[in-house]
Amino acid sequence: MSDIVELIIVSHSAKIAEGIQDLMKEMAPAVPIHLASGLEDGSIGTDVTRILEAIEAVDKEALILSDIGSATMNAELAVDMYEGDKTIQFYDGPIVESAFVASVSSGNGMDVAQIVEQLKMA
Amino acid sequence: MLTIDGFKQALRHAQSEIEANKDTLTDLDRAIGDGDHGINMSRGFEAVVAVLDDDYASLGDLSRKVGMTLMSKVGGAAGPLYGSAFVKAAPKFGDATEADFKLVKEALLEASTAIKARGKSEVGQKTMVDVWEPFLSDLSEADDFDAKLDRLVGETEDMIATKGRASYFGENSRGTVDPGALSSSIVLKAIMKEVE
Repeated sequence: MSDIVELIIVSHSAKIAEGIQDLMKEMAPAVPIHLASGLEDGSIGTDVTRILEAIEAVDKEALILSDIGSATMNAELAVDMYEGDKTIQFYDGPIVESAFVASVSSGNGMDVAQIVEQLKMA
Repeated sequence: MLTIDGFKQALRHAQSEIEANKDTLTDLDRAIGDGDHGINMSRGFEAVVAVLDDDYASLGDLSRKVGMTLMSKVGGAAGPLYGSAFVKAAPKFGDATEADFKLVKEALLEASTAIKARGKSEVGQKTMVDVWEPFLSDLSEADDFDAKLDRLVGETEDMIATKGRASYFGENSRGTVDPGALSSSIVLKAIMKEVE
């Protein structure tokens, strides 16, 4: 199970990210979900260093999903900055729907590229 | 000439001007955004000032550190935008410990390109790009930098936003100066003051 695709949820709000995590646990409990949401002090915002920390916690491959504006920019920035050898991909789409499709697809054994194809069709 | 000390002075000056304009930036952003630009810029530049006491071997090192600090501390869209700007300007400054007008302009052009790429934005969309790109496009040493920047900021007032949070305000975004344009003019004025 170690090559399962993990998800990184980037949101301005910790509550939004936690809510998505709760929802996905029901759908695909085996898929690890990392949160990079809100600022250090819990306030609303996004922070690229938290996304990079989430990437570090990933085992082999992960898909990053974001909500709006700076979350999207920071997600793309984190992918640009990441220099390791894990497969980390960002997908720009509606965060709840994308997380749903991605976690179920990951639970079904798809890799990152297959999941992105799946998302494009969704 | 922009020296390392001059660059530090510019950033301190930018921080104090952002602090002085914090409420204005927030009010503009409240009118056509989410109302946090003043707070975010203030938090970011306070963090920048805190790293200025360190020693830097080159303008490139300093610019990179400023960019990384802004990326991790701002919290809003200005973080990745200004952060990318200073990080991308860094290789252009390279190992130089002082930069003439030409090199500063080249580094700022890199910054401007980085902002456009990160924000996927073009001139005319009522964003900070409307200050950065036209300011640099035909900049000459003889220009009145402050007057040119003030004019460009003023011109964003009549624009309709088609990018960023303000774009959701559509026609209602007209009549308000873009807060990112204003903060950009503050940062650029502070840097250009040290180049003169």
